[in-house]
Amino acid sequence: MESFLAQAEHRLSVLGNWLIHADLGLSLLLLVGLSISLSHIFALLANRLSVRQIVWQWVLDGLVLSLAFLLGYLIDMVLLSLYASRPVHPAQFLNGAGACLVPALAYILVAAPYIGDLIAVVIWAFVHLNVITFLHARFGLGYGEALLLTTPGFVLALVLVWIEFRQIWRTAYGKLASEISL
Amino acid sequence: MAYGIWKIGFGNQSLISSNTNTLPGKLQQRSQRKSGQWIAVVLLLALLSIALILGHSSALLWAELSWSDFLLLLRLGSLVVVLLVAIAGIYSLVSQFAFWEGWLNGLPRPAEFFAQANQELAGSSGPAAVGLPSPYGRYLVYLDGIHQVEQDHPPLITEFLDTLEAGLPADTCLVRGLEAYTVMPGALIDEAGSSWFWQRVFALQQRHRSWLVQLLCAVLVQGNNVIKVGISSDRRYGPILNYELALKISLRLGKLGYGRGHELVLLGYSGGGEMALGVADYLRRICHAPVRIITCCGVFSGNQMLEGVERIHMLVGSRDPVASLGPLAYPGRSPLLPLSNWNRAKRQGFVQQVRIPGMSHNGPIGPFAPKYRLKVIQAILAILGGSTAESAERGSNSAGTPSASAGHR
Repeated sequence: MESFLAQAEHRLSVLGNWLIHADLGLSLLLLVGLSISLSHIFALLANRLSVRQIVWQWVLDGLVLSLAFLLGYLIDMVLLSLYASRPVHPAQFLNGAGACLVPALAYILVAAPYIGDLIAVVIWAFVHLNVITFLHARFGLGYGEALLLTTPGFVLALVLVWIEFRQIWRTAYGKLASEISL
Repeated sequence: MAYGIWKIGFGNQSLISSNTNTLPGKLQQRSQRKSGQWIAVVLLLALLSIALILGHSSALLWAELSWSDFLLLLRLGSLVVVLLVAIAGIYSLVSQFAFWEGWLNGLPRPAEFFAQANQELAGSSGPAAVGLPSPYGRYLVYLDGIHQVEQDHPPLITEFLDTLEAGLPADTCLVRGLEAYTVMPGALIDEAGSSWFWQRVFALQQRHRSWLVQLLCAVLVQGNNVIKVGISSDRRYGPILNYELALKISLRLGKLGYGRGHELVLLGYSGGGEMALGVADYLRRICHAPVRIITCCGVFSGNQMLEGVERIHMLVGSRDPVASLGPLAYPGRSPLLPLSNWNRAKRQGFVQQVRIPGMSHNGPIGPFAPKYRLKVIQAILAILGGSTAESAERGSNSAGTPSASAGHR
């Protein structure tokens, strides 16, 4: 029992150290998730949620979206170590990749009508280019190689974000459809 | 009871403002508080942006600007413009969706719309009567362009509508004075959360001597209406805004004695074309009636559900630069996207274009100017006459073949 507790304590301290080292990346991931979630807050209004429900939903959606980006970066790390044979320190990678997400802090502007799609495309393009440049600068990869290694993770994050918002808006339109069902 | 709340809400707007003990009054108060907070946020962001630009600009000017400095200024200025446009659009959405969340609580179901409205007209307390007899077999709803400020149209458009109404067949009712760019059944000047701003703008526009100030005020109003057109064409918000506008139109039709099944023709000028295409499918479902659209110098996205529309007639001037920007501003209308709703409707033959040589978008050679007014009216009457013939043909066909539909898809 004592050895089990000692092992658990050791692993928790390792995790804690890792989190401290990756604090910048994880913080940016969370902020970006919340910003992206905020851009679709009108869908929550259209679902007729109360203010408290909207706040909870916003935070939960933000966490889910942060997780989507985290999964994308995990794939990048795996591909980087498997196919490019580069040593990857997860905390350092997350800090660097998290900084690449800075343009996405302005994702709330995607809520704007008509120009929202254009802003979204520009932000996603910027983020992807930043990650490619990060791999080129930090790991010495060529741009083409960096593009190939980062695209799967990017596509996964994009698809997960798309699925999340499609679900929210479909629910809203479902409410609308029930109103006009005659 | 729900109908009573609705009637209080829209029969007398001032009753809501003064009586805060009613449900609509409380909801409007909450909406106004939220809008006030958003106003403060928007103003603060705008001030910060201006301070940043001014601070940076003055430093550059002081050091004697070089070409790269000009480019930097240009980039920053463009960024600020994009930011302000986005913020203005988001703020406009806030007022729409706060309204959506609060307004529909007191609204009767669309299935009961005309039954209840007709009961009011007939003064009957008996069972709901669907489709009480109306002297009109067709309702022509006019949706004005982005210059629309209030329910009363500008003089030129009023003359146009008077002439059109005089030439309409006896069975056609012209519905006008609808504000297509506000969702509440009231003027822009009464919009919750922004009335203080619009009152000042309109006062300046009417009283200020400087033509530049008057022009700026007109631009602000048009900017607001352009944002509403943008919201209508947005694939996320359009379905909801268009539904709200369709409800507003349905309420007006109910007051005019509309009975379900009577044909609806939506006549949209400029940005009103976008609103007409947006509400068409909703009106078809709510009114159980065939809907036809006539756009005059229309600017529209074509992203809407168009399969249920009877036909779309476009009246286009050969010298209209604004309408020709439509395919550029809305990629869905470009031939490069053959699977878009608009291009599918065109392939299936639902779109008919009528070109009027020499006509522009507005002004002395616009559709409401004396030079082209009669041509546009004749074109509209010809379209209505054609639709009458088609309806008659459908009626005679359905009489001969009992399995044929009554004009609905």
